[in-house]
Amino acid sequence: MSVSPDPDVSTRDATGAHASAGGRPPAPPRTGVSRGELAMTVLLGVLGVYLLLDAANIAIPGSSNTIGPRFFPYLIGGVVLATALALGFRVLRGDRGPADESEDVDPDAPTSWVAVGTIAAAFLGQALLINVVGWPLAVTLMFAVVAWSLGARGVVRPLLAGGVLAVVVWIVFVKGLGVALPGGVLLELATSWF
Amino acid sequence: MGALSDLLGGFADALTPVNLLFALLGVVLGTAVGVLPGIGPAMTVALLLPVTYTLEPTTAFIMFAGIYYGGMYGGSTTSILLNTPGESSSIMTALEGNLMAKSGRGAAALATAAIGSFVAGTIATLLLALVAPVVVDLAIGITPADYFALAVLAFVAVATVLGASPLRGLASLGVGLYLGLVGTDVLTGQERFTVGVPQLSDGIDVVVVAVGLFAVGETLYVASRLRRGPVEVMAASGSYLTRADLRRSWKPWLRGTALGFPLGALPAGGAEIPTFLSYAAERKLTKHPEEFGRGAIEGVAGPEAANNAAAAGVLVPLLTLGLPTSATAAIILAAFQGYGIQPGPTLLSTESSLVWTLIASLLIGNFMLLVLNLPLAGVWVKLLRIPRPYLYAGILLFASLGCYAVNADPLDLVLLLVIGLLGFAMRRYGWPVAPAVIGLILGPVAETNLRRALAISSGDLGVLVDTWFSRIVLALAVLALVLPVVLRAVRGRRATPEELQAGEGLRHRETVGAPPADEEER
Repeated sequence: MSVSPDPDVSTRDATGAHASAGGRPPAPPRTGVSRGELAMTVLLGVLGVYLLLDAANIAIPGSSNTIGPRFFPYLIGGVVLATALALGFRVLRGDRGPADESEDVDPDAPTSWVAVGTIAAAFLGQALLINVVGWPLAVTLMFAVVAWSLGARGVVRPLLAGGVLAVVVWIVFVKGLGVALPGGVLLELATSWF
Repeated sequence: MGALSDLLGGFADALTPVNLLFALLGVVLGTAVGVLPGIGPAMTVALLLPVTYTLEPTTAFIMFAGIYYGGMYGGSTTSILLNTPGESSSIMTALEGNLMAKSGRGAAALATAAIGSFVAGTIATLLLALVAPVVVDLAIGITPADYFALAVLAFVAVATVLGASPLRGLASLGVGLYLGLVGTDVLTGQERFTVGVPQLSDGIDVVVVAVGLFAVGETLYVASRLRRGPVEVMAASGSYLTRADLRRSWKPWLRGTALGFPLGALPAGGAEIPTFLSYAAERKLTKHPEEFGRGAIEGVAGPEAANNAAAAGVLVPLLTLGLPTSATAAIILAAFQGYGIQPGPTLLSTESSLVWTLIASLLIGNFMLLVLNLPLAGVWVKLLRIPRPYLYAGILLFASLGCYAVNADPLDLVLLLVIGLLGFAMRRYGWPVAPAVIGLILGPVAETNLRRALAISSGDLGVLVDTWFSRIVLALAVLALVLPVVLRAVRGRRATPEELQAGEGLRHRETVGAPPADEEER
């Protein structure tokens, strides 16, 4: 049978890693200015400024007498900057965005930056390895690292699962559907009779 | 009727053995991937896009039709059988569906969802076939300025009406519009914002952005807050629909369809609001009010029908105007463009057989779903139990496949990761993701039409409000921008699904923090 949906089954603190305390009385949800949200807003503002400044560098062909390739970037830059200013105002007043809900997300869990970093690094490594060792081997390694960082146990099973999946997918897509995907020396040799 | 004979022609094309096989393949793949937790309809379509790369357009879209409806159906199975919140359009289905499953009526909940999806999908797809030619007739005389106004309305509506926070929606939209600017300007051939990287001069591929924001972003976000411990899947137990269940379900199915299709078809579409409205309506109209909050079948039948009807409704602006109003529609538009087909008022005449085959395939796929899903419920339950480390590692594997297959360039994968990190940050801080995808795909279309309009008027901005059509549409856009802010100031935030379930009605409540005592019911 299923467990009760009560949120207080969780023993974790409702405050996330980034919930820095503000000078306001505590309300039921998190309060205070979120540094992460502020950073997002600042980045948005930087994007707006970049759009406005770099739009001036877009070359305009001499012949055009109506609006050219700069107009829309200016428009978007203005909208982005205005949005960043308005959002910054709200965030500074303690407004927080509702974090996304998903089936496998524990809304009360603190953010695990280690897992995010590990998975991002694994994905980057895979991107750089593809043209060296081939897609199946590169994604097998990524698969195993990601599975480990999400709590898979054992050494052999994640590697085996990733390897089998990668080879099967490679055969289906490359041999069956004709998608271009480097297989690596061994696999391409082994399947050259297809 | 012209539409009817066209549709029959579509059936003739779709009903060949090979095409039926691809429709079946699409339906099964779509449902299987859609069932997986953490994967919504948009991610299903984005991840399965590479499967269709090497097929010829007609076959690809037949398969796509199955994937689209299969993904929608799979999502509702997940939300009924998993006791955790999922994507926004199936939240309302989950409210009562969870409770039904918990009290041993899971099979009935799945059955009313399946049959409701079939009824709503069939009616709404037939309506799509009837309405599309009419809209095309109206849209033939549309000016570039009118089109720009429509795009602005779609932007504003997607950014402000759908999300919980209008400003964050606008922020997300702005990011998407920026990503759409990167590349070579179509009209003058000038490079914009490419920062000197040659690969960027072709623009950023929509598949990379969609897979990055949805698949990679979602995986990183789930990894950051993974729900530990065993997975709780509820059994699809109990009897299928009894006669009493059926009697209580058919009206909500029809009402849900009536709400879902028109609201989905509006340029301000999406499935979230119709499911919300449908739940509220069923709660008000039910003869068994005591069951709401304990697993009322009407609360599953109505929203699920509304969800599927809206999914068909979204195809009306997409096929007739080239206007995507949901993230899923934006990805389908990208698939069209991948084949060099630009949806718009001329699509129905230039690619007539393709469109009608697509619509016929939607009907066929819908029927296949009904036949497949009642007996296959047990298989889907098994899929829900996949250990999460392997599930998300697998999602990343397929993300890498889909993205690399576009250009065979590892740089795309690095870009995918950067956009994935952006998607993670957006989820983490409550920025909705859908506006970014729509901004990316619709931004260049809006710009082209704006510049065409201004070229005709030789730079006079007055051309933008020259026709009554553009005046009304732009006024609606301004309304959509201002109304949420005003409502928030006057009435407080919108009721959450849980409050709706508790019977507090669909009204806006007092400001945040104030006691929810007043402003209830009517």
